[in-house]
Amino acid sequence: MTTAVQPAGGGGMGRPSGGGLADVIDTILDKGLVIDAYVRVSLVGIEVLAIDARIVVASVETYLQFAEAANRLDLTQTEEQGIPGLMKDIQEGGAKHKTRGAIEGVGEKLRDFVGGDEGERVVRRHRREGE
Amino acid sequence: MAAPEQTQEAQEERAVGCYVYGILPGDVEVDPDARGLRDGDVDLVRHGRIAALVSEIRIGAPIGRPDDLTAHQRLLDEAAVEVPVLPLRFGAVLTSREAVEEELLAANHDRFLAALNEMEGRVEYVLKGRYEERAVLREILDEVPDAARLREEIRDRPEELTRDARIRLGETINQAISAKRQADTQRAVQVLSGHAVANVLREPTHQEDAVQAAFLVQTAQRQQFEKAVEELAQDWQGRVSLRLLGPMAPYDFVITPSPGG
Repeated sequence: MTTAVQPAGGGGMGRPSGGGLADVIDTILDKGLVIDAYVRVSLVGIEVLAIDARIVVASVETYLQFAEAANRLDLTQTEEQGIPGLMKDIQEGGAKHKTRGAIEGVGEKLRDFVGGDEGERVVRRHRREGE
Repeated sequence: MAAPEQTQEAQEERAVGCYVYGILPGDVEVDPDARGLRDGDVDLVRHGRIAALVSEIRIGAPIGRPDDLTAHQRLLDEAAVEVPVLPLRFGAVLTSREAVEEELLAANHDRFLAALNEMEGRVEYVLKGRYEERAVLREILDEVPDAARLREEIRDRPEELTRDARIRLGETINQAISAKRQADTQRAVQVLSGHAVANVLREPTHQEDAVQAAFLVQTAQRQQFEKAVEELAQDWQGRVSLRLLGPMAPYDFVITPSPGG
């Protein structure tokens, strides 16, 4: 039995991330060229609403959550499978635990982010100068 | 006496700025149907051999709604699949198209052109992995004797009576996850860097993050790169859930020069 679903009432941990938007925020508010470095005179200071300082700071709260998760953890799963070493083998030996799920999962994610319909391109190049 | 202020506010509300998404080569054209922030028309401001992807924006109101954010990234990512792009951080607004041409493009023409040439035929991917909590806890309880001992100490006992032990257990688990993150990040980079031109590690944004890294990949290598990620996802099945974002504009690989640098 494997389940990727977190048990209910698991406190703040294991919460699914905000999906696509959190990924967007991580990228476009934090990365990319900073306009201030290139332009000073005609810069317009526009207020940006989105603020997300999701920095990982280990706190007592985090520790207590981890401890409770460990407390709730049902170890019989591992024990049924036999030896504790088994987990290690899986992780070191690599591809022993193949399932279709993983492959399809990634494929879906890829498709989600390959933007645009075919034949309809936002930007198109007409010709390269001097090449 | 409030009259002058009102006038100023009214002026600001009417005022329009030029929102800049990114820098592209000059020899491109934009689909007339392309939409930017607030559903605005997207357009190019050209200078020499480079251009800026822009749209008009009303200056009075703040920006940053989910729609605004996704519009910015979608536009750049879709462009990046076709042509080299230097993405700007969200929120770049100049007073006018003339300012974009003179102050942004003309003043930095050669530098931008060189960077665009470097990005030719390259796209970014971001790999994000999160530990499956129960799987990683099992590993830790199996590998770290202190963790197993502390767990027995608190096992089914009230939280009030075991607070110290719980904090020590949590801290031990946190340290173990950090060590695993380092090792697993290294493994991911090792496995994938053969199919990438460059990579940059990102800081974790969650305490159970296993890996966060950006890769710059040649268009011709995209398939192999994606295949390598799928293989890694299989290896980590049940242990780390992997997500691959991209292809996207090279947000993690454009470097803003430091002042005076």
